[in-house]
Amino acid sequence: MRREIPLLITFLVGIIFLFGPITTGNIPVLEMSFRQIVSTYLSPWTTIITAFAIGLASINLLRLHGSYVARKRSGWINSAALVISMLFFTVARIIRELRPTDPEVVAFYGRIFDNIAAPLSGAMFAILAFYIASASYRAFRARSLEASVLLVAAIIVMLGAAPVGALIWDYFPSLQRWLLAVPNTAGQRAIIIGAAIGGFATSLRILFGLERGYLGGD
Amino acid sequence: MELVPGNIFGVWAMVVVSICVLLVVYLTKEGKFLVKLRRIAGLEAIEEAIGRATEMGKPVHFSPGIADVTGDTAPQTFAALEVLTYVTTLSAKYNAELIVTIRMPNVFPLAQEVVRQGYLAAGKPDLFQEETVRFLSSEQFAYIAGVLGIFTRQRVAANLMIGAFWAESLLMAEGGSQVGAIQVAGTANMHQIPFFVAACDYTLIGEEIYAGGAYLSQDKVRLGSIASQDYVKFALMASILVGAVMMTAGNDWLRVLFVK
Amino acid sequence: MNWANKLQSIDRRIIYTILLIGLTIPLIWPIGIPLAVNDTTRAVYKIIEDLDPATDVVLLSFDYSPASAPDVHPSAVAIVEHLTKRGIKWVGVSFWPEGPQMSEKIMRDLEARGLKYGVDFIDLGFMAGMENAIAEFAQNSRVITTDVRGTHIDNLPLMNNIKTMKDFGFVIGISAGDPGYNAFIRQAVDPMGVKFAAAIVTVSVPAAMPFYASGQLRGMLQGLRGAAEYESLTGVAGRGAAMMDAQSIGHLIIVAFIAVGNFAYFLSKKK
Repeated sequence: MRREIPLLITFLVGIIFLFGPITTGNIPVLEMSFRQIVSTYLSPWTTIITAFAIGLASINLLRLHGSYVARKRSGWINSAALVISMLFFTVARIIRELRPTDPEVVAFYGRIFDNIAAPLSGAMFAILAFYIASASYRAFRARSLEASVLLVAAIIVMLGAAPVGALIWDYFPSLQRWLLAVPNTAGQRAIIIGAAIGGFATSLRILFGLERGYLGGD
Repeated sequence: MELVPGNIFGVWAMVVVSICVLLVVYLTKEGKFLVKLRRIAGLEAIEEAIGRATEMGKPVHFSPGIADVTGDTAPQTFAALEVLTYVTTLSAKYNAELIVTIRMPNVFPLAQEVVRQGYLAAGKPDLFQEETVRFLSSEQFAYIAGVLGIFTRQRVAANLMIGAFWAESLLMAEGGSQVGAIQVAGTANMHQIPFFVAACDYTLIGEEIYAGGAYLSQDKVRLGSIASQDYVKFALMASILVGAVMMTAGNDWLRVLFVK
Repeated sequence: MNWANKLQSIDRRIIYTILLIGLTIPLIWPIGIPLAVNDTTRAVYKIIEDLDPATDVVLLSFDYSPASAPDVHPSAVAIVEHLTKRGIKWVGVSFWPEGPQMSEKIMRDLEARGLKYGVDFIDLGFMAGMENAIAEFAQNSRVITTDVRGTHIDNLPLMNNIKTMKDFGFVIGISAGDPGYNAFIRQAVDPMGVKFAAAIVTVSVPAAMPFYASGQLRGMLQGLRGAAEYESLTGVAGRGAAMMDAQSIGHLIIVAFIAVGNFAYFLSKKK
């Protein structure tokens, strides 16, 4: 029963979610539509389960880093910073939720969002530009015919996408557009179709209980 | 109760495809249908990567992507967990230190269970430590910052990234490259594939990640499911060809049918 | 190690430093490289130009976070500027938790310029549930009962004639990931025929092209460049155009490094 009950729940919930967006009208006997079951029961449950999962995961994080601090493991100062900032943000958000109309609380939360969370996330996203530069420098070598095609396509797309491309050669933008609209679209469509079928078959195995790996074994 | 217009063909296609998939799975399970998968270099390289990490005495990092267990990217997370089962078994076999980093809280207990059971099945339950599976943050860029920190501090020798990735894909792959890790990546998020191709040693493209569990476990149910995908694909290819010919000839019957 | 080998393995830190300098200079001293407008951008502009300010209400879905904001927020601003210029009213919604913080910035700016919340625009805030929420909102756009400022939607005139997503004159998803433009295509465009366009992060452009080619996306703003193109169409200067010179220099530097790497590779092969 340890396996059967979760599999049965998976099947029933999966079917309800599947039919929610694509059917209208009440299910006979139940006098409720799939959509209503989703919005009335399942969506709140999803939120509750996610909240508990966040709680569980946060406790793991706090225990792990708490023990690093307690044992003064190398780099424990980073763990201390993590624990303090995590508790600070949690308290700040709880106060924001408890007093949603207090202008001072709203402004304070806005300030920490704009001045701490936003720049930190933005900085990580910005690092992408530098990593793209080093990865392309390393990867784009004309070692073979295929690699040479990749190299030429990459250069055309890079120059065609930036305004400076048209100044270097008039045809860069139109070549870039052609590469994106024709060979890229053809390849993307093939991958989309293949990946969608793969995703569908995986979902079907999970729905029918044929895939149990995620429950911790076959 | 009735179907929302625009979904009628989709629902019937889903029923037909489901029957086809389940039939091929059943026939394969019963041994009436033999499935052999082609060699997938990326999956073969996982053992090499873990073996190398063991020799170097450094950890193996595994990320199941940053998607949740709901939504259209959920199958990628489940495919990643299938591969994680195999990675855990190999780590137990070689006594390699495994670090699994998690972004989505819902994936955390599942990954913990997969790794715990994997070590148990391999007869080495002691290898499972509290820090084997680590939740880092549900915020995308805080998660990747945490992963990069682990790379730098622990100098991982193998970095395995299978699942749904977005902007953090290149950050993780390039971070792994900076510490000299052998890297195997796979995703069905098309826009991230080029980054993995550029920065990793091996890349699983699109549906190859769904074949991972079947390929590595040789489980008949999974093998049948992979084979059935090819039949569905053949049917779709045929309908694309017929549709293109019909549209060229000025007949849009098939197009209208598909959007019904 | 000879110099050909050295040029094949230039230290990352050198690449990063040169790129940083190359990106910073045009931000301080803009060059003003002329910009051609893509069809995908022009298509969005044309649809908004053809809307009727008296009857059409536009839905803007703010599905991005501060991290991706530098790439897509200028597009959101450029579109809102166009809507404002034409007197078209809009409704905001978010399927990302950080979305309302992003729309709030735009609304604050509009209010400072004398436009009125509740009259010219409203924001319904964040709806949890990822793609399921988009499906739910598409079928029943009154499922969110209060806006971000706590007003019931029955008291918001902008929502008077809105029952489903089909009732919006045009829907634009400003999208940086999941759920994003493809969820709208699956849940609103294909089943309901909603008129939909997207402003997306640059990295998603190749993956989104098939949907533009098929007509499921009526138009598309391609990252920061899309914003700059849109600004040039509306004539309202914004952050997009200012950043394009930096992008040009950045691309040139990357291409230069690739060229150096290949040149050195061929030299070492010859030897």
